[in-house]
Amino acid sequence: MFLSKIWFILIALVSAVAGTFALVAPRPAVQKLAALEGQRLDRAQYAAEQMFKVDAHKWIDRVSKLGRDAILSESLDAASRGSGEYTVIHRTIQDRFRTLIPDLATGGIDVIVALDSKGRVIARVGDNEKEYGDYVGGIEVVADALRGYLSDDVWGVGGKLERVAGAPVLSKGKDRIVGAIYVGAETGPGLVERLKKNLDVDVALLLRGKVIASSRPAGELDALPEIVAQHTADIAELKRTPALPLTVGQDKLLVVAAPFPGQAGEQQAYYALLGMQPAKSDLGALLSNVSSNDLKWGNFPWVPLTAVTFAMIAIGLILQRVEVEAPLGRLRRELQKVAAGDLQKIDDGKYGGKYGGLARDVNAAVERYTHAPGARSEMAGKDLNAILGPSGGSTFDLPPAGSAFSGSTPAPAFAPPVAPAFSPAAPAFPPPPPGGFAPPPLPSFNPPPAPAFAPPSLPQPFSASGLGASISLPPAIKPAPWSEPQQLPTDALDDGAADRQMPDGEATRVVPYDQHEEEDAHFRHVFDDFVDTKRSCGEPTAGLTQAKFLQKLRDNKSTLVAKHGCRTVRFSVYVKDGKAALRATPIRE
Amino acid sequence: MTLRTFSRVSFPAVSAALALSLALGLGVPAEAGALKGTVKLPDSARSTRLYQGYWRLENGNVPVSNTGGAKLETVVVLENVNGAHPPPARTVTVEMGGLDAHPRLVITGPGSVVEIKNTGKVRLDLSTPETPSVMPLEQLPPGATRRAKFDAVGGYAIHDSEYPHIMISVIIVDSPFFATIDEKGSFAIAGVPDGKAHLKVWTRGKWAAEEEVDTSSKEELIVKVAAPGQKEKEEKETAE
Repeated sequence: MFLSKIWFILIALVSAVAGTFALVAPRPAVQKLAALEGQRLDRAQYAAEQMFKVDAHKWIDRVSKLGRDAILSESLDAASRGSGEYTVIHRTIQDRFRTLIPDLATGGIDVIVALDSKGRVIARVGDNEKEYGDYVGGIEVVADALRGYLSDDVWGVGGKLERVAGAPVLSKGKDRIVGAIYVGAETGPGLVERLKKNLDVDVALLLRGKVIASSRPAGELDALPEIVAQHTADIAELKRTPALPLTVGQDKLLVVAAPFPGQAGEQQAYYALLGMQPAKSDLGALLSNVSSNDLKWGNFPWVPLTAVTFAMIAIGLILQRVEVEAPLGRLRRELQKVAAGDLQKIDDGKYGGKYGGLARDVNAAVERYTHAPGARSEMAGKDLNAILGPSGGSTFDLPPAGSAFSGSTPAPAFAPPVAPAFSPAAPAFPPPPPGGFAPPPLPSFNPPPAPAFAPPSLPQPFSASGLGASISLPPAIKPAPWSEPQQLPTDALDDGAADRQMPDGEATRVVPYDQHEEEDAHFRHVFDDFVDTKRSCGEPTAGLTQAKFLQKLRDNKSTLVAKHGCRTVRFSVYVKDGKAALRATPIRE
Repeated sequence: MTLRTFSRVSFPAVSAALALSLALGLGVPAEAGALKGTVKLPDSARSTRLYQGYWRLENGNVPVSNTGGAKLETVVVLENVNGAHPPPARTVTVEMGGLDAHPRLVITGPGSVVEIKNTGKVRLDLSTPETPSVMPLEQLPPGATRRAKFDAVGGYAIHDSEYPHIMISVIIVDSPFFATIDEKGSFAIAGVPDGKAHLKVWTRGKWAAEEEVDTSSKEELIVKVAAPGQKEKEEKETAE
C-alpha cells in the first residue's frame, strides 16, 4: 500500500503542478507581450518624432526655397522699403505663390504668408488670403525669420494644430533680410492617417484636453486627455509618457503620448499612439483563445500526453495489484484453507503492513475462539487493578466448580462448532459468549465433563458416556504445535459429536493445544491490542516493549492465580476514561 | 487693419535708469555700493524664443540677430535689503500688437496697476495662470483695455492662452534694487547698502535662481541658472 499511496500523492502533486503551470505560465508571456507592445509603441513614438522632425526640416527647406525666388525677394524688398504700390505688391506675391505652388492642398499646405521686414503681412495664399497688412511680427517663428533664422513651430490656434516653418527672404544681393515667409501645414486627420499608415498604430491628436483627430472612431478616446494629463511629470522629464492602459469598449489599449514641440506644447498638444494590449491570461481567456487548429494532431502533443496518461494509470493499477489485490487474494485463499481446515493458522509472516496485522488478528481470533472459555466468570470485565488490588478479591465471585458450563471451563480440545467457512457475509469467528452465558445443550453433543479434560496433556482419551457418545482420540495422535498443524483422522471422532458436520459439509477439526504457546500467543495478542488501543486513544507507546509487557502479564497472571486459586487468567483490553486499560478474567478450570 | 511701426525699447537701459532714479530719490545709506555679477543662463534660456521647434538654422548669408525677444525678460532682483523701501505704486501701460507685448517686462512697486491695451487685430485671452486670483482668464477684444492691480511682492507672468508666446512679466519688488541683464548676462545694481540680501533671478516667466548674497563684498557675483527641469530633478534626487 505504501507505494500506491506514494503514487497517488505523486499524481496529485504532478496534477497540481501541471494546473499551476498551465495557469501561471501564460502570465509571464502576457507580461512580456505587454512589454513588447509598449516597446513597439515607444519605437513608434520615436519614429513619429523623427518623422515630425524630418517633416519640419522639409517644410523649412521648401520655405527657404520660396524665399530665394527673385520676384518674391524684389517684391518684399520693395514693400519693406515702402516703395511701390502696396496693393500691386500684394497681388504680385499672391500670383507668384500660386505659380510656384499651384495646389496647396496636394502639398498639405494650409497657408503661405509673406511678410516685410517689420512683420507686416504683405500677402497670404490659402486661409484668409484676402486679409493682409496686419502685423504678426510677435510670432516667434516670424521674429526668428526676421532675425535670419530658418525655424519651425507648432501652433494650437482656433482648436486646430498647425505646423509652421519660416525662413527669411534675402535681398537680391543676399546681403540683408527684406522679409520673411512662413508656411502653415495641415495637422489633423490627414496627418493622423499618414502616421497610422507609416507606423501601423492608431493615432490621436490632443489639444487643450480634447481629441482633435483620431484614427479610431470619434468618442472612443474621450478619456485619453485625462489619462495623459495625469502624466505631465513624465512628459516633462522623458518627453513622453510610459505605456498607459486605456480601455475602449471591449478593447484594452496601450497608449504612449508625447508632446508637440513649440508653443503648442504649452497648450497641452500631444500626439498619442495606441496599440492593443495582449489578452488576459486567466483560465477563461486561455480557453476562449484556443482554436480548433491548436488541438490538431500536428499542433498538440496528443501522443505523448496519451502515453503519459496511460503510463500513469498502468503504474497505479500495477501498484494496486501488487500491494492490495495480490496479498488480499493470498490472504483470502489462506483464510479459505483455514476455514476448510487445511491450515490451522495463517502464515502472517508473509504479509506486510496492514495485511500482516489482519492476518495476525485473524490468527489471534482463531486461536482465542479455539481456546476461549465457554463462559466468563463474574470477575470478567473487572479492571486488572481492581482484581489485583486489596479489595479486588471481594468481587471475585466465580461460578461453582463442576458446573458443566462454569465460565472458566477451558475450551475443549475440539472446539465447538465454528462458522462453516470464511465468508464475508457471515462472521467466521463469532465472539465468545458474554459472561454468564450458558450455551444450550446441544442435542447430539454434550461437552465432556471438565475434570475429564486436562488441557496440558491434550489430547487425552476420555470417556463421554454421559453425553451419549464416546469420544476418544487415538493414542498415536500427539499434541502438535500451532506451527505444525496436524489433522486428526476423522474416523477417530464420534460421528455425533467430534465429527459434526458443518452446514457446508466440512468437519470441525481437533486443534492441537500447547498451553504455553497458547498463553504466549494470547499475551502477544493482548500486547497488540493494547498498543493499538493506546494509539487509537492518542496515548504514547514509546518505551512499551513486548518483552516487558509480556513479563508483566505473566507476573500479573501468577499473582492472580495465587490469589484466587484459578487455573489461568485471560486478559483483554478496553478503554477506560479515554485510556487503554487491561481487564483480567480468571479461569478456574 | 492698423499699420504700426514696432517700437523696440532697450529694457536694460530703462531698468537701469529706473533703478538709479529710484535709488537717488529714496535715498540709501552712505555705505552703498554697486552689486555686480553675471547670470549664467542655460543654452536653452539664451534664445530669443520662449518655445522652440525642431529646427533653428542660420540662413548662411546674412548674420543672424540674437537680441530681444524672450531674452529681454531676465531680471535680477534684490530682496530684504537693509533700509530699502519699495518703489511707489504706479500705472504701467502695456500695448499688445502684432501678437507681441510692449514692453514685455514690468518692474514696479506693490499696488501698481498694469494696463493692457489690445492694439492688434486679434482677440486676446489673458490671465496669470499661476495666480489666477490676480488676473483671471478674460477675453480682451481688439481695441479694448484691461487693468490689473498687483499688490503683493513677487513675480507674475501674464499669458495669452491662444498665443502662449505672448507673455508679460510683472515683477513687484520691495526695494529699488534690481537690474536686467545684458547680452553677456552681466548686471549691475547701483547703490546697494552693505549687508545681507536675497538675490533672485527671473527669467522666462518664473524665478529661476535665488541665493543669499553679501552686498558688501566687492567680488562679482556669478549666479547660475539651472536648465528647465534640472532644478526639479536635483530637488527630487535630494529628497530621495
